[in-house]
Formats: sequence, C-alpha cells, structure tokens
Amino acid sequence: MNVSIEFYASLMKYLPPGKSRFRREIKVDNGLRLSRLIEQYHISPEEAHLVLVNGLFVCGEDRAERELVEGDVISIWPPVAGG
Amino acid sequence: MNPAQQDRYARHIRLPQIGEKGQQAILDSSALIVGVGGLGSPATMYLAAAGIGKLILSDYDVVDTSNLQRQIIHNNSSVGENKVDSGRQTVKALNPDCEVETIGYQLDGEELKQTIDSVDIVLDCTDNFPTRFEVNRYCVETATRLVTGAAIRLEGQIMNYQPGANSACYQCLYTHAYGAEESCELEGVLGPVVGVIGTLQAVQTLLILAGQGGALVNRLLLFDAFAMEWQSVTLPKNPNCPICSKT
Repeated sequence: MNVSIEFYASLMKYLPPGKSRFRREIKVDNGLRLSRLIEQYHISPEEAHLVLVNGLFVCGEDRAERELVEGDVISIWPPVAGG
Repeated sequence: MNPAQQDRYARHIRLPQIGEKGQQAILDSSALIVGVGGLGSPATMYLAAAGIGKLILSDYDVVDTSNLQRQIIHNNSSVGENKVDSGRQTVKALNPDCEVETIGYQLDGEELKQTIDSVDIVLDCTDNFPTRFEVNRYCVETATRLVTGAAIRLEGQIMNYQPGANSACYQCLYTHAYGAEESCELEGVLGPVVGVIGTLQAVQTLLILAGQGGALVNRLLLFDAFAMEWQSVTLPKNPNCPICSKT
C-alpha cells in the first residue's frame, strides 16, 4: 500500500532520496505498524518525539499497536528545548 | 489611559481585538520572562513596546559575543554584563514607563514559585528541560498562564498552558528530558528562527492579556525554517500527566 512520510528538521537526514525537502511517497506492507515504520528508517524513540498520523498526535505507548492504512500521512518531528 | 498613552498605543487601540479595554489590560499587566536570550529578546522588547506594566526578567547568565547573532536585546557594549541588566537598559530605552525588575541569579524552588504566583503570565524562554519542567509545574500549581517557546537549529515550536481550560501542559508533551545534551551552542541555531518563535510568544501574550487568548490551547505549533513549513498539532491533555492530570 502507499503512504506518505514527512520527516522534519533534523530528521530530514533519514529520508530516502527524492525531490521534496521533507516528504516522500512510499510503498509499505499492508497492516504495517507505526513503530515498525519508524524503526525501518532508523529513527530512535528519542528522536521521534512528535509522531502524527494525518495530523493527529500518536503518543509513544500507542505507536506499537497503530496499524497504518492506505493513504496515511506520517509526520515526525524531533524534540526541541533550546532558546 | 492618558492622552500620551492613547497616542502611543493608537495602532493597538484601532484593532477590534485589542481596543482601549485590551490596551488598558496590557498596561495593567505583569509578566515573568524566564531567560533573556534568543527567545526572551524579542518577547521582552515587544512586550515593553506594547506597554506592558511590569516585566520581571530572570537570567543568571552574562552577555557573550556569541550571543549577539540572535539575542537582539543585547549589543556590543553589553558584552560581559548580566543579561538582565542589559535587558533592562534596552527596555527602558524602548519604553521608560515599563517597570522592570531583574533577577540575575538562578531562580528556582520556592522563590520561582512565588515569583510565578505574583505575575499575570509567564513566558518560558529558557534553553533546557529541567527549568522548563519546573516553570511548567509551578504555573500549573499556581494556576498561572504560560506561553512556552523553544527553538534550535532551524526549527521551533510554541504552545500555551491556560489554567481552567482543560488545557494540556508542557509535560503532556514532554514527559522526560529528551536529547538533554542538545543545546544551541552544540547544535547551532539560525538567529531569526528564535526571533520568530520569541515574537510569536509576545503575540500570544498580548492577545491573552487583552482577553483574546486561547488560540494555542491544546495546540502545538511547529516551524521548520529549512522546509518553510508550519504544522499545527492537536495536543490533548494527557489524562496520565504527572503534573496537570490532578488539576
């Protein structure tokens, strides 16, 4: 199935080659779990602070159970504390 | 409001969302700025220019030349000065009517809590998780409004805590000190990125003080300057949050 991934800020380095600065359309196995997708891109739990599916926040404990479906947009942001 | 103030703040008063009532509320308000660095610089300056009645500036650091690329409240002649003293000079030059109190040492514990309890709103402009957690906890305990900004590299974020609004707090978002070793010193930061976020903190503070806040309650706004993308995230209150779940 097809889903979109958006890796922002310092996580852009994990994106596969492509045109957009932050977004890729990818093919994944049907029923792939959200945490597995994050692992596939070698993003550590510490780095994957804010994980959104279609713009809605998915907290850490729900990511292992969350099944992705066709057309989902997964956005990932790192933590930020500087100032 | 006297005629000089009506003239000075005329452009605010013209706005239906502020008006004379909102401007008077700003003039009568006080704010604690925790951290007079990259975020605190524009936030402090805009609040002073907007006529806020009293600012409490808290920062234990001194101005270094490496700060000047982004901490625009300070200048060449402030290098070596306490940031709060340098900040006060800029505020007074901008608006002598703004009362300024400075705290040039590490503000924490009971004194931080009492200081938070004494003001109308707090702006978290710090650069580390432990201080952010402490400021958030005391804002929740004292039911004080909080505008939290953060920025590093080319990214930033902003959210609010509003007591009594079933509002998520900072620790609904950050449960522990992620990537605690990261700092602007190690990672770098593009000067205007902290300026954008600090300025948005001032925008939110003024609207909240004028009675028009709430737009960022249970919402987190994320900014990626490299992609030039903004993302707005719904942030529900965490029913298991160790800080705000009991309020």
